[in-house]
Amino acid sequence: MNINFSLIIESLPEMLMGFGITLKLLFVSGFLGLILAITLLLMRLSGKFYLDWPAQVYIYVFRGTPILVQIFIIYYGLPQFDTIRESIFWPILREPTGCAILALTLNTGAYVSEILRGGVLAVDRGLLEAASALGMSARHKFIYITTPIATRIALPAYSNDVVSLLKSTALASTITITDMTGIARTIVSETYAPYEIFISLAIVYMICTFGIQKLFGFFEKILSRYTIREA
Amino acid sequence: MNNSENHPLIKMSIVNKYFGSFQALKNITMEVFKGEKIVICGPSGSGKSTLIRCLNRLESHNDGQIFIDGNELTDNTKDINAVRREVGMVFQSFNLFPHMTVLRNLLIAQRLVRKTSKEEAIKIAMQYLDRVKIPEQANKYPIQLSGGQQQRVAIARALCMKPKIILFDEPTSALDPEMINEVLDVMIDLAKDGMTMICVTHEMGFARSVADRVIFMDEGEIVEEAEPAVFFETPRSERTKAFLDQILTH
Amino acid sequence: MEALVGWWDDFFWGSKVVAEVFISSLGLTILFGLIGAAAKLSNSNIAKKFAGAYTVIFRGTPEILVILLFYFGLALALTSIAQVFDPDVKFIDIPPFWSGTIAISIIVGSYATETFRGAFLGVNSGSVEAAHALGLNKFQTFIYIRIPEMWRIALPPFGNHMLSLVKDTALISVIGLNETLFVAKQAITVTGKPFTMYIVVGAIYLGFSSVITLTVMGLEKFGERTTVISK
Repeated sequence: MNINFSLIIESLPEMLMGFGITLKLLFVSGFLGLILAITLLLMRLSGKFYLDWPAQVYIYVFRGTPILVQIFIIYYGLPQFDTIRESIFWPILREPTGCAILALTLNTGAYVSEILRGGVLAVDRGLLEAASALGMSARHKFIYITTPIATRIALPAYSNDVVSLLKSTALASTITITDMTGIARTIVSETYAPYEIFISLAIVYMICTFGIQKLFGFFEKILSRYTIREA
Repeated sequence: MNNSENHPLIKMSIVNKYFGSFQALKNITMEVFKGEKIVICGPSGSGKSTLIRCLNRLESHNDGQIFIDGNELTDNTKDINAVRREVGMVFQSFNLFPHMTVLRNLLIAQRLVRKTSKEEAIKIAMQYLDRVKIPEQANKYPIQLSGGQQQRVAIARALCMKPKIILFDEPTSALDPEMINEVLDVMIDLAKDGMTMICVTHEMGFARSVADRVIFMDEGEIVEEAEPAVFFETPRSERTKAFLDQILTH
Repeated sequence: MEALVGWWDDFFWGSKVVAEVFISSLGLTILFGLIGAAAKLSNSNIAKKFAGAYTVIFRGTPEILVILLFYFGLALALTSIAQVFDPDVKFIDIPPFWSGTIAISIIVGSYATETFRGAFLGVNSGSVEAAHALGLNKFQTFIYIRIPEMWRIALPPFGNHMLSLVKDTALISVIGLNETLFVAKQAITVTGKPFTMYIVVGAIYLGFSSVITLTVMGLEKFGERTTVISK
């Protein structure tokens, strides 16, 4: 089997042109998804059933269905309705990029809110009791005790979700977005060289994953200073 | 808010507490006056921790009344927070905030709850760190301290709020034997200074030398209550005798 | 709603395909996961390196890319091999069912490797020592002591892996597998109702997810019967 290196060298720059779009999808969906996740978390922690139950249903639906289906519903499905086409959101929903960002945001928001909730539940109850005994209010406890500790606990799982989000951006290629995967698929259909193209693309994604893991490893180290005994 | 000599600082009147169908406290009636040191002892499950946790509303009682310094303890949040400012607690597992330095542990409640200024709060904190004999640890994190040191910080943290009463929930039970004395010494020191204390503990030596009264609880009831001399030498109830036999022979 | 008339049959057969993919991939995933975990826990440096590469590659590459690579790549590889034996062979086609099933099994298998590895490490070493002290040999210890504790630890995270398997099936529609998403695409060209059709697909997958989640909860209860003191 001979590997066509010249093809790889020609195609990589082309595929990397899609890197900007991949990053855009990752950062915008990641950021908006985090905000959504915190909102859902607060709804679930509120203790009020009219906030808790809708949040639970939302999370259940978005974690229980494939993200590809969610993307298709938003991009292909929503235009079925006149009200959508006439609404102020139409300029966003008409574009594949807007739809992809929306779908990815809604999806990652559901997963991350559960991750954050896991962190919150893992905070030692004794610490919250000590805070109560000192007279701290519920708001104080949540800001000064729960949030710092839960963030540190949830960080590893969150970094896994960011990696998943990166991988999910590749699905944007199914709705005509020219991210790295989209460009790769076009090249493969022209050159019939799936090995060279897809494997080199896979290596690019693996490098990105490595970068994300290293970055979060750095954050974890900072947040975990107080868990190490040696000064 | 009468605080004359005749008014008890703590008054519990026919207090009952249930966890589901299990009754943890049965008709508890007792009083504690300013400056008194009370030791509560008894077998596990007797309700001793539950009793003191009801005093700062970490548990809520189902029947009866609890008065702290003349204020009744109810579901009302304002009442609860007012009580918690005056009642300090030291836990078996220390519960120091792991993500804050020792100093910050002592400052945070002063700043947020008593709204003390930063300079004043630091002064108070260092004063009490000095009192528990570990002022040099102020900038360390809890994990860098030994168990005995952590518990002493926890006592200082409670003291910084200048409470009228301190509750101790088995403060030395989680400590290695060689560190128990450094914590007991601090508690004896506090007692000498006139602090009102209620202490759930198995340390009978401490009870004998420091307590004004010893209360024995079993199965949710107060079985016997007496001065240490009477309690240890001539216990009246059979159950008390059985418990003392078990705990004092080893 | 009337648009769906006549399509229920096709959706039913599509669902059957989803179930078939799930059963097939479940077995393969467990197999790959156990082999990977064994390799990582073994004393052989080579095995550890291979297993390490396995997890890094397939946890860092988008699933859609792996599926495309397997589909096109496997066909090409097998064709080249076949042409060595019989030069007249034009093209060997791998049915999307198998290339897709193998692809997702290998992907989720890399996650399962980490889960199983963690679960084996989580087995109480005291129990193992006691077993050896009583005279049980390595195989007996493995079957009677390690496995029972290990599957209980692995079950919650492995439940998530099973959910991933089901949802990844939708991705295989991209290479032509006639599961529900594929059926939906056909239904849309005829009825022009993308939203309706994709919602049905979502509901079908949500159904599968729910069944899996309930099954896992039931298995957890079963596992707790003998290990948790009932209240």
